Amino acid sequence: MSANGGSEKLCPGFLATLEVEGRGHVGGLLVTCHSGRPLEFQCTTPVKPDRTQTILYGQILKPWLLGEIIGGTLLERVSIKPDFLVIRDPLLLELRNHTDTPVVCLTDDPPSPEAPDETSEPGRRNLRYHAAHQADAERLASQMHLIPVQADLQEPLDRVSAALAETVKTVLAR
Amino acid sequence: MTRAEASTADTLVAGCGHADLSLSAAMATSGFNSALRRNPRPSHRAVPLSVVPGTAPAWFPRRPSIRCTGLTLPCGEQFLPTGDEPPNGSRKNAAKTRAACRNRTRRTDGESHNRRTRIRPPSDAVSLQDRLFYLLQPPLESWLSGHEMVLPFAPFPYQYEGIAWLFGRNAGLLADEMGLGKTMQAITAVRLLLRSGQVSRVLLICPKPLIPNWKREFRLWAEELPTVTVEGSSAKRQMLWTMPSIPILIANYELMVRDLRLISDENQPAFDLVVLDEAQRIKNRDSLTAQTARSIERRRSWALTGTPIENRPDELSSLFEFIKVVPAHVYPDLRRLSQLAEEHILRRTKDLVLTDIPPRIDRDTELQLTDGQQEAYRIAEKDGVIRLNKLGDSITVQHVFELILRLKQITNHDPLTGESTKLERLTADMEEISASGSKAILFSQWTKTLDWLNDRLQPFHPLVFHGGVPQRRRQAVLEQFRSDPKIHLLLMSYGTGAVGLNLQCASYVFLFDRWWNPAVEDQAVNRTHRIGQRNPVIITRYICLNTIEERIDRVLREKRELFEQVLGSTDRLSQSSGLNAEEIFGLFDLKTPGTASGLSELPAL
Repeated sequence: MSANGGSEKLCPGFLATLEVEGRGHVGGLLVTCHSGRPLEFQCTTPVKPDRTQTILYGQILKPWLLGEIIGGTLLERVSIKPDFLVIRDPLLLELRNHTDTPVVCLTDDPPSPEAPDETSEPGRRNLRYHAAHQADAERLASQMHLIPVQADLQEPLDRVSAALAETVKTVLAR
Repeated sequence: MTRAEASTADTLVAGCGHADLSLSAAMATSGFNSALRRNPRPSHRAVPLSVVPGTAPAWFPRRPSIRCTGLTLPCGEQFLPTGDEPPNGSRKNAAKTRAACRNRTRRTDGESHNRRTRIRPPSDAVSLQDRLFYLLQPPLESWLSGHEMVLPFAPFPYQYEGIAWLFGRNAGLLADEMGLGKTMQAITAVRLLLRSGQVSRVLLICPKPLIPNWKREFRLWAEELPTVTVEGSSAKRQMLWTMPSIPILIANYELMVRDLRLISDENQPAFDLVVLDEAQRIKNRDSLTAQTARSIERRRSWALTGTPIENRPDELSSLFEFIKVVPAHVYPDLRRLSQLAEEHILRRTKDLVLTDIPPRIDRDTELQLTDGQQEAYRIAEKDGVIRLNKLGDSITVQHVFELILRLKQITNHDPLTGESTKLERLTADMEEISASGSKAILFSQWTKTLDWLNDRLQPFHPLVFHGGVPQRRRQAVLEQFRSDPKIHLLLMSYGTGAVGLNLQCASYVFLFDRWWNPAVEDQAVNRTHRIGQRNPVIITRYICLNTIEERIDRVLREKRELFEQVLGSTDRLSQSSGLNAEEIFGLFDLKTPGTASGLSELPAL
C-alpha cells in the first residue's frame, strides 16, 4: 500500500535545493504520479543560517539546513504525501533521520565496497540510501516494479530546479 | 612612617584581622583632636574564592520558520476508449500498428532517450503559478511514451516541438507546410490539454470534406477522445452546439455560420479552445465566416493553415484578429505584421525538418499549342481584348476573369476540334507511369475537363473525385485508388481534392491547368508529398507557351519578394501569393480602372 492510499501506483517525490547568492537556500518538492505527471509542487522562501548557526553547526550545517530544515518543512507541507523521496544531492539524505519516508539519492558513481551507505541499481539508476536506513532498499525494491521501466528518475529533478529558478527570478524581480 | 608602623600595616594587609592602628600625627590643637584619637572600627566580611566560572546566556538550537508557496495541479480528465474501430479496420490491426511504432521507437531509442522537448511557459503567462504549471510538465517524449497515452507512431522531433508550442499557447497560428502533420500536432496537443485538465470543451471547425479525415485522425492519434460532429436536423444541431458535456465538437464552416446565427446571444456556446483548420477560410476579415468565428466565446484560439497568406499580407490580420493578437479594426503595417508573425506563428518547411523525406521534383513542361488550339486561342484573345477595351470605365475584374477562363480552357483543349496538346503529352506520360505500376493524381480547376479526360484516359482506369461526386461515395473512391493496383490515375478538382487528404500512394502529380494561386497548387501537391511518402514525388505543370498560362506564371514569380518581407523566409509560401486586380488587368496590358483597383478580394476560380 502506498503512502497516498493507492495500492497499485506509487507517487514519488522529487526534492532539490538551490543556493541563491546572498539570500541562502530555497528548496522545492515535486510530487508526481507514477508516470511522472506533476500532482503537487511546494517550494520555500530563501533560508539563510545566522552567524551562530554557521559556527556551531560547522560541517553539518548544510545537511541540517537542506535536509532537516528545508526538506522536512516541504515534506510536512505537501498534501499529497510521496511514497518515497528522490534526491540528487547526498546532503539531503539527512532528511531520512527525521521522516519515515524512504529517501533515495541518485548517483552515477559506481558503488564502492567501502561505502558506508547501502546502494542498489534498479533500472538504469544507481540508488544510494542512508547508511542508518538500509532497510529502505529492500522496502523500495518490492515496490519499484510499479514505476515504469523507462521512467527517468533524474528528469523530474531538472523540473524542480527549473521551477525553483523561475520562482527566484520572479521574486527577485519584484 | 616608622618601622613599627610599617610592620603593623603589613600585618593588616596580610591578615585582614584586627590591627592596632596607632597613628601619631602632629596635629594642631583644636576641638577635633579627641575625635581623631579614637580608634577607627573597620567592618569586614568573608569572601570565598570562586571555583565555578560564570556562563554566557544559554543557546538552544531552534528551527527557523520557513514560508512555503506551492500549487496543486489539476488531475485532468480520464477517458475510456470510445469503442470505435480504429481507422486501420480492426483493433488487431491497431495493435499491430502500435507494435510497429514501438519497434520504431526502440530503433531510435538511443537518440530519442536523450531528447527532451520541454513545454515552455507562454509569453502571456504572467502569474508565477501559471508559469510553474508549464515548467513542471514532463518532457513530451516521456509524457507520450506510452505510460498514460499510446501514440500509433513516434512523432518526429519537430512535431514534438509543435505540440509543446501549441500546448502552451492561448493564441497560436500553426502554419507548417502542408504534409508536415499539423493535424496530428493539433490533436495531440488537444489530447494533452484535455488529459491535464486545462481544457474540457474544444471546438474544431474545418471544411466539410475534411470532417471524415479529422475523425479518422482523432481515432488514430487519440482513440480515447470522443468526438461529435455537428450534423443532422436544425434542432439536433442546436442541441449539439449547446451540450456542455461534449469534449470535442467538430463542425464545418458553413454550419458554424448558419447555426450560430440562429442561437440567441444568451445561449451562445462557449469553449475552452477553438481550432480553425484551413484557417485561410477566414482571410477576408469582413466576411461572415470570419466574423462568426471571432464571435465564438473562447479562452484559447488556434489557427491551422499551410498558407497563412494566399494573396496579400493583409490576410494575416484577419487570422491575427481571430487569435486575438490584433484588435478589431486595426490594420498593422508590414513591419508590425512581421513582428506578430515571429511571435505567434510557428512555421516549418519540409526542406528544414524532413531531411529524410523523398525529394519533390518540380517539372514545368512547356507545350506548344496544336494548330487547332492555336487558332482558337488567337481568335478568342483578340475578340476578348477588343470587348474589354470597349467596356471603358465600366470594366471590372470579373470581365477580365471571364476572358482568362476562356483562354485557359482552350489551352486545355479546343472545344471545336477536340485537339489538346496537354492530353497528348499526358497520355505519353501515363503510359510510362502505368507500365511501372505507379499511380498519379491529376488536378484541374474544371470538373468538365476532368470528365472529358476521364473519357479519353480509360486505358489507365481513372477515377474521378470532384464536387460532382456525391459526398457518401468520396471515401470509397479514395480507398479504391489506394488499394486497387489497376487504378493508375485519380482525376481531382482543386476545390475538392486540394486540402486535407492523404494520398501518399501516388508519386506523380499533374497540374493540368494552373490555379491562380500557387498556394492552392502546393496544397494539391502535398496530398502526395507528405509524411509516409516513400518515393520521390514528380510534379508536372503543363504550361502552354505564348499563352495566358505563361504570363500568369511570370507575374507570380515576381511577387515572391513582397511576402518574404512578412514571413522572413524564402520557403514555398513566399511563392504562393495570388494575383491582385492590378496584376490581372496587366495580363492584357489593360489599365486598372478606379473602381476595380479597390477590389480586395478576388473571386475563387
